[in-house]
Amino acid sequence: MMASQKAMLHRVGLALALALLLVMPWLLGSYQLRLFTEAVIFSLYAVSYNMLLGYAGLLSFGHAMFFGWGAFSFAVALNHFPGIPLMGAVMLAVASTTVIGLVVGVLLLRVKGTPFALLTLAFNALVFAIGIKWHSVTGGDDGLSIATPALNLGFTDLVVSSGPNFYYFTLVIVGAAIAFAWYFTRTAMGQSVLLIRENEERMRFLGYNTNVSRLILFVLSGALAGLAGSFYAILNSFVSLDAVSIEMTTKVLLMTFIGGTGQFLGPVAGAFFFTYVQNFLSDLTDNWPLIMGALFIAMVLWVPGGLAGLAAKLSGGRKDDDPDGTLAGME
Amino acid sequence: MAILQVNGVHKDFSGLQVLTGVDFEVGEKERFSVIGPNGAGKTTLFNIISGKFRPSAGQVIFEGRDISSLPTYARARLGMARSFQITNIFQRLSALDNILAGVRSRVGLRHHLLRRPHHDRDLMERSEEILERVGLADQRHTPAQELAYGQQRALEMGVTLSLEPKLVLLDEPTAGMSRQETEEAISMIRRVTRETACVIIEHDMNVVFSLADRISVLHYGVMLACGTPEEIRADQRVKDAYLGEEEA
Repeated sequence: MMASQKAMLHRVGLALALALLLVMPWLLGSYQLRLFTEAVIFSLYAVSYNMLLGYAGLLSFGHAMFFGWGAFSFAVALNHFPGIPLMGAVMLAVASTTVIGLVVGVLLLRVKGTPFALLTLAFNALVFAIGIKWHSVTGGDDGLSIATPALNLGFTDLVVSSGPNFYYFTLVIVGAAIAFAWYFTRTAMGQSVLLIRENEERMRFLGYNTNVSRLILFVLSGALAGLAGSFYAILNSFVSLDAVSIEMTTKVLLMTFIGGTGQFLGPVAGAFFFTYVQNFLSDLTDNWPLIMGALFIAMVLWVPGGLAGLAAKLSGGRKDDDPDGTLAGME
Repeated sequence: MAILQVNGVHKDFSGLQVLTGVDFEVGEKERFSVIGPNGAGKTTLFNIISGKFRPSAGQVIFEGRDISSLPTYARARLGMARSFQITNIFQRLSALDNILAGVRSRVGLRHHLLRRPHHDRDLMERSEEILERVGLADQRHTPAQELAYGQQRALEMGVTLSLEPKLVLLDEPTAGMSRQETEEAISMIRRVTRETACVIIEHDMNVVFSLADRISVLHYGVMLACGTPEEIRADQRVKDAYLGEEEA
């Protein structure tokens, strides 16, 4: 009884949220809609990061290398292959990020814990250096401008580079990726990741090559970040080194920690919170990173479960013995 | 034909000789037990068979194939499963999910990005079946950490059996159990290993003599004797080295 009521409530909530997302362009002005779209893109970035941090317990300081790689390879694809369809460029960006994830993952995942975290930082710096030095391809400090081609729908070409069209385009593609990330927690692979965090030794004795599991997760998480990166490029019609910078890594860390690693929607809440608060603060003062930093410290110290944990506590729903929530998500 | 052959296995840890030439064979449906005093190298031997350590010399042969250098997970996939002396399960997961982890590994559903194991009726039924075999059907949704000690030991056994192994390695399966729990565990082990080979390390002589078809005695890194329970009981060297100590 209770369970079916709860499922019903979830379904109604989901339908309402979807309806709200669909009418957003009527509710928001163009500036606000752009901000909202940006938050959706960062949601995917944060969700992909939480696959590593929240599910596998892997602390990475290099997630921007995938975000930036996706953004740059999308821009490079558009600039170097004239006439490439929009989705072709997006797919190329995701594919090249997947390859980079595989290469970096094979090199990185030999180590765990602090050495892993430091090596991700080093690789991020390396990719950033490539971005600066390889001027002929990446534009170096100047970055790359892009002209987003129209989206070919078969019967018509749709300009999706800005406004409501870009919002809907983002909602469909980025939204599908977020939905997949949610579905992923229930798949064989997603469950294996959780079980490995619980007890890696036993998993090995049950026939799981846990190194392969971690590598698949790492590559998948990188590919999703790359997808977010290519949408970030469309959003700005421009890619700069900022996309692959350490600041971009810090950003995803802040979003994920503020939102909470324990529940699927935590990083989404964090991405929205960060995007809007940053927007608000940067209007008031140039020193907004200072306030963001203080906020981050306060969250880590006093609200370790993040916004999602706070919400759960206030509604009195979830007990804290499963701070990850994801385990309870199993049916 | 022997399912497991251990040939001249040596192990030293930076100079410390723990095993100095261990040989034995386990038949296809045989229950084989390794006994010996603390520090005799039983657990090391187990870790070498199951793949946690590599032997310094010698081979481990499973179904005629040299597996000495295979990693743990590859041995598990060949049909070798072990249980742990200190309960080593997924504490925060339900009993059913603990079993499911092995059941789906058995059919190769480990890294699939789309299929959801909880929606696979066949896998769920098999998991339920194994829970029933170890007597935990009523606890299927209970998180492992909330089970009583005896039940956790039963779940440990269930997780081991979830691979439907051809060879089961049991590391002190009755450690820390009361008399009655031990009796129950013995009958359960007898029941669930009827169709498989089994190697048991055990301290409790009562357990060993009531379960094992053959027993070998490990003493400071070498096999002192090997034979049926009756032969071992009658062996003077074993009495001197081990059984005598226990009785003294």
